Amino acid sequence: MSTTLHWLTLAAYLLGTVVYLGFVIWQRRGLHAMGRAVLWAGLGLHTLALAAAWIETGALPALNLRQSLDLFSWALMAATLVVNLRLEIMVLGALSAPLCALLLMAAAVLPLPAAPPSDLLKSTWIIIHVLSLLAGYGLLALTCLGGGLYLVQDGLIRKKRLGAVFKRLPSLTRLDSLGQQALVAGFCLLTVGLITGAVYAQITLGSYWRWHPKEVWSLVTWLCYAALLHTRLVQGWRGRRGAWLGVAAFAALMFTFVGVGLLYSGYHSFEALPTLTGPLP
Amino acid sequence: MNLVLIGLNHKTASVELRECLAPPPGTLEELHQQALALAGVREVLLLSTCNRVEVLAVADQAQAALEGLGDWLARGKPMARASFLVALYRHQDQEAVRHLFRVASSLDSLVVGEPQILGQIKEAYRVAAGAGATRTVLNKLLHKTFQVAKRVRSETRIGGAAVSVSYAAVELAKKIFDDLKGRKALLVGAGEMAELAAEHLLTQGVGEIMVANRTLERAVELTGRLGGGAAYSLEGLERALAQVDIVISSTGASQPVITWEMARRCLKARRGRPLFFIDIAVPRDVEPKVGELDGCFVYDMDDLTQVVEHNRAGRAGEAQAAEAIVAEEVVKFSAWLRSLAVIPTIAELTGKAEELRQAELGRTMKDLGPLDPAQAEALERLTKALVKKLLHDPIRFIREQGHKSDEAQRTHLALARRVFKLSQDDQDDQE
Repeated sequence: MSTTLHWLTLAAYLLGTVVYLGFVIWQRRGLHAMGRAVLWAGLGLHTLALAAAWIETGALPALNLRQSLDLFSWALMAATLVVNLRLEIMVLGALSAPLCALLLMAAAVLPLPAAPPSDLLKSTWIIIHVLSLLAGYGLLALTCLGGGLYLVQDGLIRKKRLGAVFKRLPSLTRLDSLGQQALVAGFCLLTVGLITGAVYAQITLGSYWRWHPKEVWSLVTWLCYAALLHTRLVQGWRGRRGAWLGVAAFAALMFTFVGVGLLYSGYHSFEALPTLTGPLP
Repeated sequence: MNLVLIGLNHKTASVELRECLAPPPGTLEELHQQALALAGVREVLLLSTCNRVEVLAVADQAQAALEGLGDWLARGKPMARASFLVALYRHQDQEAVRHLFRVASSLDSLVVGEPQILGQIKEAYRVAAGAGATRTVLNKLLHKTFQVAKRVRSETRIGGAAVSVSYAAVELAKKIFDDLKGRKALLVGAGEMAELAAEHLLTQGVGEIMVANRTLERAVELTGRLGGGAAYSLEGLERALAQVDIVISSTGASQPVITWEMARRCLKARRGRPLFFIDIAVPRDVEPKVGELDGCFVYDMDDLTQVVEHNRAGRAGEAQAAEAIVAEEVVKFSAWLRSLAVIPTIAELTGKAEELRQAELGRTMKDLGPLDPAQAEALERLTKALVKKLLHDPIRFIREQGHKSDEAQRTHLALARRVFKLSQDDQDDQE
């Protein structure tokens, strides 16, 4: 069931990509409306697919890299569509749709979780921990995308190259507020995710903090975003500087999300997760 | 009767000359009266923008009217008469119509396709009509002109892109600030061009226009005209900069007024909110280095012209399509205009016939003595029918002349007038 839905979701995202590319080329509002509808439908299918997987295994489908990428793709699409309700940054769909499709394809080639999930991973704490972190990742990915677009548009205006790209990209102010709003919301979710994780570790594993590489990198990433938020809100580091920092911080985030899980072994690595039993020595 | 147009524009005359000729505001009504008072001028319309000064008139005699209007334009102006006469262009009838259609469709503008000219012509027409200076011909011509301009705009994409310089500036500002509603703008220096740009910004929803000027009095005067924002002297410039989003500078200063240090300090106070400088002064008012600062965007006159040029390339093909529309409409209107030339002759002929009929009828009635109403009615009908039938063919002949060439029309009309002895005040015959 969940596999069929998975492929249907991928088809919807790919169709959305095509429609949005058409919108970017021909600039017809009708195409944008169509693309948005297709992506909302895709997000609905995606949600159903995840729910089905959840019911099948009894645990939130974030047990290994395959499922995490799937969930991240969902979070990114949800963040894009929700943010677009307010800010109407139409080209965003043209970036998010192919990215989400790519994430889904990457997930499809990765192996399924090797073992059935332990009961430790079925707690509400874990659900909040994982969902808030991944929603945060989705939003912070938008900060990064918005920052990238900002840098392109800023460069075009500065170099006075006011061609086709300039016309299609939204205004600097709008891109900047996309970055800022996604940053604030994403940072809050990141914080919630880290706190719930630590609390649950105390409950099940006996300590809040174990200096595991995943935990250390999470803290580093969180500090990066805290600094980013501080400089933006207090010191007014917006514009190019803010956009660059948003991109750089997202690189750290991606390393924490994917890199650490693959490079370091331990209880929080992708291989060890499904069989996690506690309390640890 | 002829339609004539005399004037000069950015292609034929320098700025100084155009400035010299531009009527001071508030005198337009009186100027229309003056022009109407010239010999042979029946209707008149004055069009004055920063790129052109033109007089459109309906006159009894084209050549005389053109000379009269030329003299009138030059009267009392401190300029070299020779250079003035060279700069003038003069058009008659069909060519005058074509010129007006082209101007209104923005084909004759400095920046082809800019949308402001049509509004300026509408305003000129409003003033002329208000002064009672337009009648049948100009009313019809101007309404047709508005239609043609509208047609050009809707059937070609000539005005689709960012066009005039201030228009380009607004488009850019929108790509920086998104929505201009509630943004604040600052004019540094109180030039006319800056004022125009500021007006354009106001129509785009900019909330407040402030002015910083060397003399505070002038700044206060200008803010009064632009919605009453704050006024500063140049010493207060930095304070003003911290509050606004768009800066239009146009001072005559020989050194940059806005320096890199000033902009940097200002950005700090603004907590990184972007600042867009439109520098239309030559030499420039904003140090070029300011454009390297994060959140500062500087466009000078050359950059803006380039933006406009960029759009112009794509508009060349559209301009040809627009010219075709204009040509088509000129032919249509000229037909009407020419048919107009025969109307006085027809009116005179029927008028004369009616006069004769009335006179003869009166005399006969007197001779016949009292008649009963049915008989009087029958006589009336008889005479009317006679006149109508007799004149039917001559009038048709005269009407047909409306569609002939100028030369044929003139000789045939003159002939008709002689046959019916209508020529008392016809100048063609007096010569």
